[in-house]
Amino acid sequence: MSKPTDTPAGERFTGHGPEWQNTQLSAKDAQVATVWVEQIINKRSMQTGKERVEDVRDIMWQLEKDGQIVVHRVTEEHKPVMVKTLYGWDKKIPTVRLWHHKSCGQCGNIPGYPASLLWLMNQLGTEYLDETDQTSCTAWNYHGSGIGNIESLAAVFLRNFHQAYVAAKAQGLPDGYYYPLVHCGTSFGNYKEVRGYLLHSAKLRERVRQILGKLGRLVDGKLLIPEEIVHYSEWLHVMREEVAKLRQIDCSNIRATIHPACHVYKMVPEDVIYDDKVLDGNRVAVSTGIMQTLGAEVIDYSTWYDCCGFGFRHIISEREFTRSFAIDRKIRVAVEEAHADVMIGHDTGCITTLDKNQWISKADGRPVGLPVLADCQFAALVCGAHPYKIVQSHWHASATEALMEKLGIDWRAKKAEFEEYLKEVAAGRAETLYDPRRKITSGPGFKRIGQPG
Amino acid sequence: MEHSGSTRVQQFIGDPLTGSAPVERSKLEEIFRDIQADLRFDHQLNGCLNCGICTATCPSAHYYDYSPREIVQLLWTENLEGIYDAMQEKIWACAQCYTCAARCPFGNSPGGLVMLMRETAIKHGMESAKNVLRPFSRVMLKLISTGNQLSPDMISRDAFPDWGPNISKVDAPLATLRKAIPVPTLHTTKTAWEVNLKTSVELYTIWEETGVLESLKAVDPNLFDVIRDIMDEKREEYSDWQEEQEEEDDD
Repeated sequence: MSKPTDTPAGERFTGHGPEWQNTQLSAKDAQVATVWVEQIINKRSMQTGKERVEDVRDIMWQLEKDGQIVVHRVTEEHKPVMVKTLYGWDKKIPTVRLWHHKSCGQCGNIPGYPASLLWLMNQLGTEYLDETDQTSCTAWNYHGSGIGNIESLAAVFLRNFHQAYVAAKAQGLPDGYYYPLVHCGTSFGNYKEVRGYLLHSAKLRERVRQILGKLGRLVDGKLLIPEEIVHYSEWLHVMREEVAKLRQIDCSNIRATIHPACHVYKMVPEDVIYDDKVLDGNRVAVSTGIMQTLGAEVIDYSTWYDCCGFGFRHIISEREFTRSFAIDRKIRVAVEEAHADVMIGHDTGCITTLDKNQWISKADGRPVGLPVLADCQFAALVCGAHPYKIVQSHWHASATEALMEKLGIDWRAKKAEFEEYLKEVAAGRAETLYDPRRKITSGPGFKRIGQPG
Repeated sequence: MEHSGSTRVQQFIGDPLTGSAPVERSKLEEIFRDIQADLRFDHQLNGCLNCGICTATCPSAHYYDYSPREIVQLLWTENLEGIYDAMQEKIWACAQCYTCAARCPFGNSPGGLVMLMRETAIKHGMESAKNVLRPFSRVMLKLISTGNQLSPDMISRDAFPDWGPNISKVDAPLATLRKAIPVPTLHTTKTAWEVNLKTSVELYTIWEETGVLESLKAVDPNLFDVIRDIMDEKREEYSDWQEEQEEEDDD
């Protein structure tokens, strides 16, 4: 074994430790020796600590019983579907009366993502509210820059969820009528993590209670905690059979690779859906479930568990990492190994990273191209949604046209229709998915317009 | 970085032979205490046997001189000099994917611990934090003043030349393209969605009450001034609206 003094100057903290030395094992022997630290993050690898993981909802119910908090319940009126999570626990997924907790990255950069989701809900007759009284979760900035802290994250979380609770008042409906549906994977992971800390720490609860009190965001003087934190991909998963009934385009010739999002299934992993009918329950069920139900062929690839390379700060200021990781560990593997026609995701940063970071592969003379879409965009597309008006595919840098051609969609004709439609838009005759007057529920600009119907 | 005659540790911590210490021991202790004082610390650090599963799974370890195992070890062994050293550069390599946390047999969260170290680096106004945050100014301005972190007008060919020529594959003014999105809250260019004035004012109160603005002031005083001016105007505007409402109610 080498001694610390053998280490070259300046290399004391290398990440390996001063005693590290090459084992000189053959590649095969090295594989045998290290297989126990395999990288894959599947169900089995996360079940090792099951007995040490607690269900924070038990603390939540006790706190409510003790009169310390109020729980925003998923009621029968939300027509919940029960699913199983990693450890076989139950999770209630509301399917109607949904309050859309939008994603800043999706709305700013991939607008076809929320538009497709709302379009699907319209097709299914799902009641929902999309409004202006909402902030982002602020977690992209937090994870990227470190500006923020547990108190700010918790206060933002509870402010937004309180608004979801009271929003129906604008329509003369009771508190708790709508249940929040979180669009962004980062928000989903962050909110679940923060809920855990709020339930564990009386000090944090008291601090945040004071802040929300100043904002008038308490219920009977208490913090309002959601019974479940629900991601849109979970709604899509439990609605997959209903969505598949709307399918107009055969997609059985599509080879789809799935990118499961880190903040969806690795952050607070015990709260993620695993379904025995989807990949034998070995991997997170969302996205794969809807794709299979729609009839597409889901193809495995060796780096399915890897992150996309987003990195939160890296996509802004160290894109060498982001694009290298996205191309080498995800896109190129999906293309060359899985011969994929599309990469499907369920999170904002992943879709952005995988979609936008392909063009630069031309720079090293090894171009790689793969259409990248969110699961709900693909679902909307094969259910007959307009590829430009609804799916808004023109915002995608990747070759979504190639996917549309394989699906038999005449994208040139659809694009021409859209360009013609832009004249109507410019003249103030844009089509919308819901009555725009509903978007303001209080404050400047609010006008009561009655109950939804 | 200068390596001749000194290690990186010596550069930041001092020379163990001569006893010189550019950073006082009391300062190192204060930094560690700040990390340790966060309520998340005890949830995120439970022990470590150096198994290295976290580093085996880490995307950043592929590309950077960064190892989540090392971060955990430094904190677990309370290696104050090593912690300070890691805060100069290494903690900013983490991609915050939490793969390490999902795999750790001890239930540690190296990614979560990195966040505590980043927050502390900002609190102490460390140069590394200032350098790293410089490109974030625009995001932070948007975030703190509107609650949105990204807006359509931030995505341009100049800002993202490596994303290629297709910011949009349909050539039309940004405002028209945004109005063609069938979601009424998205007909905006300066924010991702239309944000209620009341919402922005509430969010600003959260930033104030949680000490986030003070952190921002420590690393970017100019940005802090700009944000304060914007938010003062918004508060005034909201206050005027409230007064108008009261007058209407009286009528």
